[in-house]
Amino acid sequence: MQTFLLFLVGLLQAVLLFLLAPLITGMARVLRAKFHSRQGPGLFQDYRDLKKLLGRREIVAQEAGAVFAATPYIFLMAMLLVAMAIPAIFVGSPIGAMGDLIAVLYLLALGRFFFTLSGIDSGSVFGGIGASRETTLAVVNEPIMMLSLFIVAILSGSTNLGVMSDVILHHRSVSYAAIGLAALAFGFAIFIEMGKLPFDLAEAEQELQEGPLTEYSGSSLALMKWGVALRQVVAAALFVGLFLPFGAATSLSPLALILGALILSVKLIVIFAALSFLENTMARVRFLDSTRLTFVAASAAVLGFAFSLAGI
Amino acid sequence: MPTLELLAASLLFYIAGGFVSLLLGKTERLAILGASLGAFVAALLGVDAAVPVLIGGDTSLFEVVGPFSFAHFSLRFDPLAALMVFVISIVTVATSIYAVSYLEEYSGKGVGAIGFFMNLFIASMVMVALVDNALYFVLFWEAMTLASYFLVIVHQDDESIEAGFLYFFIAHGFSMLMMVAFLLLYMQTGSLEFASFRGIHLPDRLASTVFLLAFFGFGAKAGIMPLHIWLPRAHPAAPSHASALMSGVMIKLGIYGIIRVGVDFLGATTAWWGWLVLAFGCVSAVLGVLYALAEHDIKRLLAYHSVENIGIILMGAGIGMVGMASGKPLLTSIGLLAALYHLLNHATFKSLLFLGAGAVLHRIPTRDMNAMGGLGRRMPLTAFFFLIGALAISAIPPLNGFVSEWFTYQGLFSAATQSEFASRLLGPLGAVMLAATGALALMCFVKTWGMVFGGAPRSSHAVEAVEVPKTMLAGMALLAALCVLFGLGAPLIAPVLGHVVATLTAGQTVPVAQGLSVFPGVARQAVLSTSVIALLMAGLLAIPLAVAAFHRRRVRARISANAWACGYEHTPQMVVSAGGFAEPLRVMFRGLYLLRTSAGPVGDAGDTALRDMTLLAARTEPMWDRASVGFSSRSVDLLGRSVQIFQSGDLRLYCLYILVALAAVLLAVTW
Repeated sequence: MQTFLLFLVGLLQAVLLFLLAPLITGMARVLRAKFHSRQGPGLFQDYRDLKKLLGRREIVAQEAGAVFAATPYIFLMAMLLVAMAIPAIFVGSPIGAMGDLIAVLYLLALGRFFFTLSGIDSGSVFGGIGASRETTLAVVNEPIMMLSLFIVAILSGSTNLGVMSDVILHHRSVSYAAIGLAALAFGFAIFIEMGKLPFDLAEAEQELQEGPLTEYSGSSLALMKWGVALRQVVAAALFVGLFLPFGAATSLSPLALILGALILSVKLIVIFAALSFLENTMARVRFLDSTRLTFVAASAAVLGFAFSLAGI
Repeated sequence: MPTLELLAASLLFYIAGGFVSLLLGKTERLAILGASLGAFVAALLGVDAAVPVLIGGDTSLFEVVGPFSFAHFSLRFDPLAALMVFVISIVTVATSIYAVSYLEEYSGKGVGAIGFFMNLFIASMVMVALVDNALYFVLFWEAMTLASYFLVIVHQDDESIEAGFLYFFIAHGFSMLMMVAFLLLYMQTGSLEFASFRGIHLPDRLASTVFLLAFFGFGAKAGIMPLHIWLPRAHPAAPSHASALMSGVMIKLGIYGIIRVGVDFLGATTAWWGWLVLAFGCVSAVLGVLYALAEHDIKRLLAYHSVENIGIILMGAGIGMVGMASGKPLLTSIGLLAALYHLLNHATFKSLLFLGAGAVLHRIPTRDMNAMGGLGRRMPLTAFFFLIGALAISAIPPLNGFVSEWFTYQGLFSAATQSEFASRLLGPLGAVMLAATGALALMCFVKTWGMVFGGAPRSSHAVEAVEVPKTMLAGMALLAALCVLFGLGAPLIAPVLGHVVATLTAGQTVPVAQGLSVFPGVARQAVLSTSVIALLMAGLLAIPLAVAAFHRRRVRARISANAWACGYEHTPQMVVSAGGFAEPLRVMFRGLYLLRTSAGPVGDAGDTALRDMTLLAARTEPMWDRASVGFSSRSVDLLGRSVQIFQSGDLRLYCLYILVALAAVLLAVTW
């Protein structure tokens, strides 16, 4: 019964994040426009875009293969899986059997595998370059994420994200400095995982960050765009659920869950507003120099690890 | 005993198949069928013998007095040996089916001999896992090396002969270390029986010496860095089904040797052995995959990935050995379980990938991935099976590669939560290395699959390629199914491997599975259920499908058009190449690639040294010539070099010369 309830919570969480994602990316668009002193498209523009794209006819590159055709579904599915696995509304992983940090990181990798592969499979000129950049950034990023999560896991004695979140919520750990640094490093890594600045070009998304999307059109493009938005929201939810778990439901009563969902939405909106400020005020970095910036995150993670060894 | 009779029958079939193939070499069709059928039946018998031992855990012994008074021909079929026989056999089942059509490619190049050496190679691998006596172990080990050497040089071109020579040289050179290790043990016990080595108590320093000798002796066969240099040359040179067995199975016998000596004989008594194994594992894993990324030769790329995966196996084994040395049964079980699980998994997906590469090469005459592309539409099933292998090796859930890497992570995590400082420091570092390896492997296989099967064809051969024959597909399908089964069936397989570890270390069995999920000894630490993940995947796929289907009812038509290229005509050359894809990494990790160029030519250095020596011996140059001609030629050379200082090639310097000359002329005129 408990398992079934938790499964429902997971489903609720996935659907909530799925439906919320276009609103949050729409908000990011509005905020960016404000930074540019433009009027901006309106908060719900991304929903309208998706609806329009879903009704459009598809144009497919001649040499695009089966992976290209299947990726929109697989990519979205992977992101929904992650949305079910992480502690967000409820403090604790809804599906414990895939709620440990390794499974979650590798489910994100599943999304990345197909996202980038579709770019190459489309035969597009930009797709391959975009795929190369995306996977290269992951090579720098994944060890940082792993180390910062490992720090918290070691302090909690479990790699389950739910247990880790619970330990932070109830201040059961002793190494506050270590957790703070881990949060900093993980936050930075998540920022990269979202595909935001400073490594990708805000004004040239079509070419680089969304390089693999070049050849998509119609309903496939809609699903891919939705997936990209969901990836950003899920990554932010992972950070929030783990390091800022206050307000999450601690029991499975409907009231607590609804309250948890509301608080999560508010937290996500605040986080994205802050990120928006950050991404619009930061300078862009040449892609090949990105290791200089990730170095900061890596050192924060290593320092956090040193602190956790020392028990501070 | 029925198990041993089954094994004897299995060996007979291997050898009979081999000789049939050799004798019928003239009629190639029959030779191929004979060798394949023999290997197929033998492998099935091997599986039949191994499975009950793996599940039941009984050890059977067999001993005959051989021709030598000092060494009895003794066999021991314990769970670890059964695991090795199982791994050898399942891969052989697939390759023997695959070979039926694949070997037609080698028509006229000695198909009979290929079948003969192939079957001999497999039989000697089975014997290596079975024998329980140092002398016979060494004999079969050498037989295995020799048989595989002949498979490496099948092509008879410069590349394969050079690769074969390097392989021969390193394999024999380092097996000396292994022999010395056995001799040291022999000096202590006065017997060559493994039974007498088991649980031996040696002085610390001697034990460490024996372990190091065995580690490097077997490690060269396993392909650990920096003893790997033969591997990326020898494996690609062999026919693909032989590469599959070499990469999938033979190098695992190196791991088997390390575990046999380090854990079974010496009992892993010293903690730094485990750390050493872990360190070599980390370096092999990261550098192996980094070098794989820089390759555009498909089989060499896969060979480098074997170095990577051997590294991952050693990471688990290292943790297990540390656990043994510090008396922690949980750490021991999880570490060694992870190692054995990854050993089994790597055998399946790496063989699958090599067979896939062989299928591609069956249609395209070059191993260069830049001449492939677009094969996904032309060879859809091969592409699908290769995709399964690529996902498995990139540790994507819920396939088998993920499960064993998950156990490796859990082993590292268990180490990180111990009280010793070394564990707390090195456990997380290992996890970071494994994470980097995972991300790199993903990048590499996105590149590989994309370059080979994705996009537009980049050569006329790729345009004309068609799907490979059914038997080749069947071989790949079998291994692809195993990749899925070993992933979803984790709750069934993990306890079996846990039992293998328990009998090996004479420790208690740690619980690792319950219902549909697995956990690393303690359920609070983490729980994983690949079948739940797979079910949710199937379920969640419904959401995007429903969203698309709801809207697609109105518009169905899809238009096909060229890929967008900024308004220019799209040509395949525009698309990123295999080298270009990995270029950012080569720039970012310049330092690490330096090692490749400096460590790679270790083999070359050997070659050149040999060549120089023969040259020196052949040349009888008169001393007079050297003194007179040599002197003048050297002085001219020296003069030329000193004049070169003025010719630096810098434009500004030449301007300066002109100015000086002008000034000199002006001065001379005005004077």
